Amino acid sequence: MESAREWIKCDESAKSLMDRVSMERPSLLLPPPLHRAPLCAGNVVEIVGPSPSAKSYILLQAAINCILPKEWNGIHYGGLERLVMYFDLDCRFDVSYLSQSLKRRIVRAQGPDSHSLVEQDTHLDEVLFLACLKRFLYIRCYNSLEFLAALKTIRPQLQTESEGHGIGVHFLMFDSISAYYWIDRAYKPLSSAISNRKPFSLQSITEAVVQELRQLLQFHPMLVLATKPALLGLEFSACHITRKQSSSPSATGMLPLSRGAERFLYREYMPSAWQVILFLVDIA
Amino acid sequence: MPPLKSLQHQFPSIDSNLLHFCASHGIFSVEDFLVHDLYMLVALAERQTSSKGLKEGIAQVLTFLNNQHFPWMNGVELLESTQHNKHFLLTGFDGIDTLLCGGLCEGNLTELAGPSSSGKTQFCLHAAAHVAYTYMCSVLYLDTSNSFSSKRISYRVNRLLASPNKGEKGRSLEGIMSSILSHSVFDIFSMFETLHQLELSLSSQAEIQNSKLRLLIVDSISSLITPILGGKGPQGHSLMLNVGFILKKLAIDYNLAVLVTNHTVVGEGGNSKPALGESWKSVPHTRLLLSRDQMSNICNMSILKHTSMACGQTASFRLDG
Repeated sequence: MESAREWIKCDESAKSLMDRVSMERPSLLLPPPLHRAPLCAGNVVEIVGPSPSAKSYILLQAAINCILPKEWNGIHYGGLERLVMYFDLDCRFDVSYLSQSLKRRIVRAQGPDSHSLVEQDTHLDEVLFLACLKRFLYIRCYNSLEFLAALKTIRPQLQTESEGHGIGVHFLMFDSISAYYWIDRAYKPLSSAISNRKPFSLQSITEAVVQELRQLLQFHPMLVLATKPALLGLEFSACHITRKQSSSPSATGMLPLSRGAERFLYREYMPSAWQVILFLVDIA
Repeated sequence: MPPLKSLQHQFPSIDSNLLHFCASHGIFSVEDFLVHDLYMLVALAERQTSSKGLKEGIAQVLTFLNNQHFPWMNGVELLESTQHNKHFLLTGFDGIDTLLCGGLCEGNLTELAGPSSSGKTQFCLHAAAHVAYTYMCSVLYLDTSNSFSSKRISYRVNRLLASPNKGEKGRSLEGIMSSILSHSVFDIFSMFETLHQLELSLSSQAEIQNSKLRLLIVDSISSLITPILGGKGPQGHSLMLNVGFILKKLAIDYNLAVLVTNHTVVGEGGNSKPALGESWKSVPHTRLLLSRDQMSNICNMSILKHTSMACGQTASFRLDG
C-alpha cells in the first residue's frame, strides 16, 4: 500500500518541470527556415544550396540571434546571450556586414520612438554593440591541416572563453564544410611499407573531423550548423543538367532540388563519414 | 607539417620514448597526429610505464598545433583590424566606385567576368594606372595572355598627371610607371611559383617601403585554369581551388586588393555566365559581370555576388581612347 502511495505522489510540479527542461534543452531561436525543424543542442545540421542562395546569411542571422541579450536596459531584444564559434573555412566572412546587421537589429528592437532618445543612449547602444560582438568568436583556416589543428585545440579555448564570459557556447558554425573537398580529394597517399599508418586523404580527414566533433559535442552540447554549396550534376557539364518535374529520385541516386520554377539534380559528394552524423539536410 | 622528430629540439618532452610510442601506432609526422584520435592515444599512453612523460609529450605537440592556425579572435578585435587595415582603392571610374561602395576592397578577391572584348583588360589597365597614381603604391599585373600594354597605361597616367587637381604631388610618369610591375605567366605551375615568390617577398618585408604593393591583378585566370579542368580526375579542380586559396591568403594576410578576370560561357537558356564552373563560385568575394554595347565605348557592370550587397545592381562607365 505504501509503495502504491509513493508511486502516485507527484515528483515535481509543472512549473519546476518547465524550469528544468528549459535549462537542459534551451530554446535555440533559429531564423527561418530552420525554426520549423525540431533541433536541439547536439544536432549537426547541414545547409545545402546552390551558390548564391543565402546560406551564409542564415548563419549570420542565427549568430546575431544568439549574441544579442534577451533584455538590456529595459528594451527587449529577444536574444539568447550565448557565445558563437564561427569557422570561416571559405575565408569570405565580411565582419562589416555582421556589424551592420547587428546595429540594424538593435535599432529595430528599440522601436519607432528611438529617434527621441538622448545622447546618452547612443553611448549605451555602443556598449551593447561591443558586448554582443565580444560574444562572437571567429577563426579562419586556409587548408585542412589548419582546420584539423584548430579542431583539436578547441577545447581549452572553449573553456577559457566560457569562464571569461560566464556563459557557454551555443552554436558552432562552419562556412563552408566542403571548402577543401577538391584539394583533399586530389591527395595521393604515400605508399609506405608501414601498414598501420593512416593515409592523409579525404576519407581520413573527414573521419578525423567527425570524431573530434562527436567528442566535443559529448562534453559541450551545442548546435552545429554547416553550409555546403550544392555542386549540381557533378559528372555532367553544365548543359547536360536535366530538369525533372517529378519529385522521385532518379536511378543514379540524385535528389531533386527545387529552385523556383526549375528543378535541378543534386548529388551528395561529401564522404559517408560526414553524412552519418547529420540530423537533417536542409535544402535551400 | 614537419615530422615529429624535428620538434625534439624545440619541445624537450618530445623524446625518443614518445617517438617510439607514436611509431608503434603509425604516427610519424604531425599530419599523422592530426588524423588520429588523440583521446584514444592518451588512453593507450596511460597503460605504458612512462605514461606521465608520454602525456606531457602529447600535450606539447598540441601546443605546437595551437600555433599552426590563425588565433581565435572575437568580433570586436576582428572589426577593429578590418577597419584599420582594409581600405578601399578607387578604380577611377566614378560609377563603378559608387557601385562597389568605395572601389576595390583590400582583403577581397574580386572577379570580373565578361565576354571577349567587353573591356576587362582595359578596366584592369585603367585601374592599375589610377591606383598607382592615387595611392603612390605599387601594382603587380600578372598577364597570362600578352594583353598588358604599357602604352595604354602611360596614356592614362599622362591624362591623370595633366588633370587640374594634380595637387603638389610632383610625380613623374617614370616614377609611376616603374611602380607598376608586369609579369607574364603562361601556365598554372608558373603561377604557383610566382605567387609563392610573392608571398615570400611580402612576408620578409619588415619595414614599410616607399612603394608598398596594394593591388594584384591577374588577367586572366580562366586561361590558366580552363585547359586543366575537365577529365575524370580531381586534379584540375584541386589546382583551381589551390590558386583561389593562395590568392585569398595573399589578399587577407597582406591587405592586397586582388582582381582576377574570367571569360564567359553560354549556359542554359542561351544566357552567358562566368566560366570555371560551380566550384569556382565559392572562391571570389565579389563577382562582377561586364558587358559592352556594340559599337560604343560604354560598358555595363553588374554585381553577381557580393559579401554585403544585394545582387543585380548595375553601373556604366566609358572607356576612352
